[in-house]
Amino acid sequence: MAVIAGRPNRGALLPARLSALTDSRAGSLAIFIIKRILWMIPIVFFVILITFLLMHLAQGSPWDKSGGRQLSADVVNNLNIKYGLDKPEYQQFFIYLGNIVHFDFGLSYQYEGKTVTGLIAEGIPYTATLGVLAFIIIVPVGVGLGVLAALRQNTRVDYITMGFATAAASFPNFVIGALMVVVFSVLMAKWTQHAFFLPAADFALDDHLIMPVITLSLLPIAYTARLTRASTLDTIRQDFIRTAWAKGLSERLVVVKHVLKNSLIPVVTTLGPTFAFLVTGSLIVETVFNIPGIGRAFVTAVESRDYPMILGTTILFSIIIAIANLVVDVMYVFIDPRVRLT
Amino acid sequence: MQLGNGIRAVALASAGIFVVAACGGTTTTPSLNLAPAAQQILRANDGTEPNSYDPTQQTYTYEAAVGRNTFEALLKSKPDLSDVQGAAAKSYDVSSDGLTYTFHLQTSAKWSDGKPVTASDWVYGYQHFLNPALAAGYVDPFFDGTIAGAQNYGSVDVKSASAIDSFISGLGLSAPDANTFVIKLQHPAAYFKWVVTLWVAVPLRKDVVESAAGGTFASTDTTKPEAWANNANTIIGNGPFKISEIVSKDHVTLVPNTNYWGGAPKLQQLVYYFIADGNTAYSKYQTGALDIIGVPVADVTVVRGDATLSKQAHLFPTLTTFWMDFNTKKAPFDNADVRMAFAKSIDRQKLTVDVLHDTDKAYQSFIPQGMAGADTSDNAQSFDPAAAKALLTKANVTAATLNQFKLLTRNSTGSKTINQFIVDQWNTNLGLNIQLDVIDSKTVTSRIRLGNFDIYGPDGWGADYPDQQDWFDIFFSSSCHGLNFGCPTLSGYDALVQKADTELSQTQRNADYLTAQKMLIDQAAVGFIYQQYEYDLVAPYVNYTHTAFDDQNVPGDNYYNTAYITTH
Repeated sequence: MAVIAGRPNRGALLPARLSALTDSRAGSLAIFIIKRILWMIPIVFFVILITFLLMHLAQGSPWDKSGGRQLSADVVNNLNIKYGLDKPEYQQFFIYLGNIVHFDFGLSYQYEGKTVTGLIAEGIPYTATLGVLAFIIIVPVGVGLGVLAALRQNTRVDYITMGFATAAASFPNFVIGALMVVVFSVLMAKWTQHAFFLPAADFALDDHLIMPVITLSLLPIAYTARLTRASTLDTIRQDFIRTAWAKGLSERLVVVKHVLKNSLIPVVTTLGPTFAFLVTGSLIVETVFNIPGIGRAFVTAVESRDYPMILGTTILFSIIIAIANLVVDVMYVFIDPRVRLT
Repeated sequence: MQLGNGIRAVALASAGIFVVAACGGTTTTPSLNLAPAAQQILRANDGTEPNSYDPTQQTYTYEAAVGRNTFEALLKSKPDLSDVQGAAAKSYDVSSDGLTYTFHLQTSAKWSDGKPVTASDWVYGYQHFLNPALAAGYVDPFFDGTIAGAQNYGSVDVKSASAIDSFISGLGLSAPDANTFVIKLQHPAAYFKWVVTLWVAVPLRKDVVESAAGGTFASTDTTKPEAWANNANTIIGNGPFKISEIVSKDHVTLVPNTNYWGGAPKLQQLVYYFIADGNTAYSKYQTGALDIIGVPVADVTVVRGDATLSKQAHLFPTLTTFWMDFNTKKAPFDNADVRMAFAKSIDRQKLTVDVLHDTDKAYQSFIPQGMAGADTSDNAQSFDPAAAKALLTKANVTAATLNQFKLLTRNSTGSKTINQFIVDQWNTNLGLNIQLDVIDSKTVTSRIRLGNFDIYGPDGWGADYPDQQDWFDIFFSSSCHGLNFGCPTLSGYDALVQKADTELSQTQRNADYLTAQKMLIDQAAVGFIYQQYEYDLVAPYVNYTHTAFDDQNVPGDNYYNTAYITTH
């Protein structure tokens, strides 16, 4: 077998059939994906370990109350037995690991008799709906604005677009959300005698979605637009673009086929984490619009020291982020022909 | 109930009666001006979803709001809070030694599924509540401190079914016939009639609990006995409402229990939303999507200035007072003069008017206005910076010593705002430089319970029921670091309060509690600051009588079932 200079001979130690597999592009991709999925096991293990340690280091027990009658020592003792907190912490850790191997993530401390899996399953549909809708808006709007600004660099279009992006990135979510509620719900209801206004809060598959989705997508749109603009400016100065223009190609063809494809590479890198951020929920949007998603569930779990719920959501978030990053890496192969997965 | 902070979200108590008049509907007009059934929907904000829909497991007011509507306790308070009156029990008798309480149940009482409520359901409900393995929060001190046999609650081995079974069967609970429920006590307790008004003390259906659990279960089991409470279909109650729908962390919908002995409520739906953010609820109210809310502190001035909203606003006193705790285990706070100097250098009037927008009222006593025992004659803690400075000089304490102390503060807007003002008062009036120590709420609770702080506040208490026993036990020396975070030494206090708790003559009780209250004020056990008021917005078409002392901007009181919507 000829060895190409600079390229490791990956198949050398493998049986003939497997090496055939690894040498093919699809085969190496499959191996890469499997490897990365297997890597998630130690990653999740360390996420659990670190979360577990931090959680138990934080002062305050799940049974301390910020208001209301404090529980008596007897009741606290019985609660500790009920939830296995009477055992030494290292034992609790291994018991937890043993349970999650069987996909048993335990019972929530906050909600009597409810499982962590059940609580997460209740929250995901809300968060995912908002996240996916926001993502669908972010990609075309963010990329579109960025390309537009770059192609019309230093014109009014550029200034307006980037001005919008800077403003959107600078205003905190909760200010934008609250401001929209005041204008489009409260004042609008007042002005139109309750004839037309957007609902101030809650989740439903109708006009309830408008304000939360916009609030959620503004920052990522701004970020994506700025990034796309920078990378497009970088691309249009490359030699091959000059060649494309020199060949007499139409603007549309140059932009879509040559500029866009090349300038999207850095953008794709950030879309993975952006997607993960969106579907793991935004505490602020969920709080302002009173949406019972997992972003809020996670924060209430931390505040009330609901250990199983904290661990369950952290594991879920780490898996989502790992998968999003994996998808980005795999997409590279298709976008950037220079990339080889090893 | 112990209150951790001064934010409105933990508003608990309100005293007296306030009829929220609906448009056109006055007490003299016989016509109720009732809106059609389709409009009989009341939407209120409950703030947070109950941790459990099993009332015996509920400890917070937002939980009890649902519990009280769906289940009914033996007795309830009279509207003026002067005494109890019949609820699920028509009447009750107390034996002459004060040890046996006999409750005569409503004979026509029915569960929401139509079956009659029997005395054995009451025994079962109390037994379920008192099962140590289920660790219900409100057992202690109300029930394990009163019911015969329950004093061993803390020492039962919760891993042994036989130990639990023998504890439960040894409790002083019995059902001599279907309509009589008898409770025997460990010692006389004049306040026990109030204990049985709590939302946790309700009957439960053995057959429903067991069928939801998938059969009988061992008494050591902690999950099966609660399975029924996670499904609207198996939450069978004896209250005026029943749960028709639970949308987790979003809202719960209650509909009339048509089998309720006192007649079904006029409201066709009572919807509790779980909106944690007060501003979100306020926006929803303004768009007509909520009917009753508490006004966020920041919006009080706006509401007062608004021609429409100001007419819908109501100020209700609550049975809640707030104070500052001094860690008396740390010198010089063991010196009553030093504590008094701090208490006398807070301008409470300025605090309530400027900082709290004149909703809460300055108060320098313990028992709040509106319940027996409220007394404002003792002015020992009144604002007097000159006298305060003189006390510090007398105690011979230097500013340098006091400046090393910090005011432990919960990381909430309410607590931070109040404490910033109080620390400014001390620094200005006493010539000090004390700093705030702002940390997250759970950590604060854990530190005050360990005695790991210098000064902490605002700490407070809201009545569980309007009997003084519920208040004075906070400052027992045995409660040091339990509820009594500053642990002041008050000689003779414990014996005096214990005597008042078990004394059967109400006049004697009141006199003893008054002496105890004087001790708290005169020795500056804590520095009292204000009594909390609720500032609510109620839509003009809602007609209800606001009476309870433990509802939270919601009609979750004992008289909710009489609320209705008028034509609009």
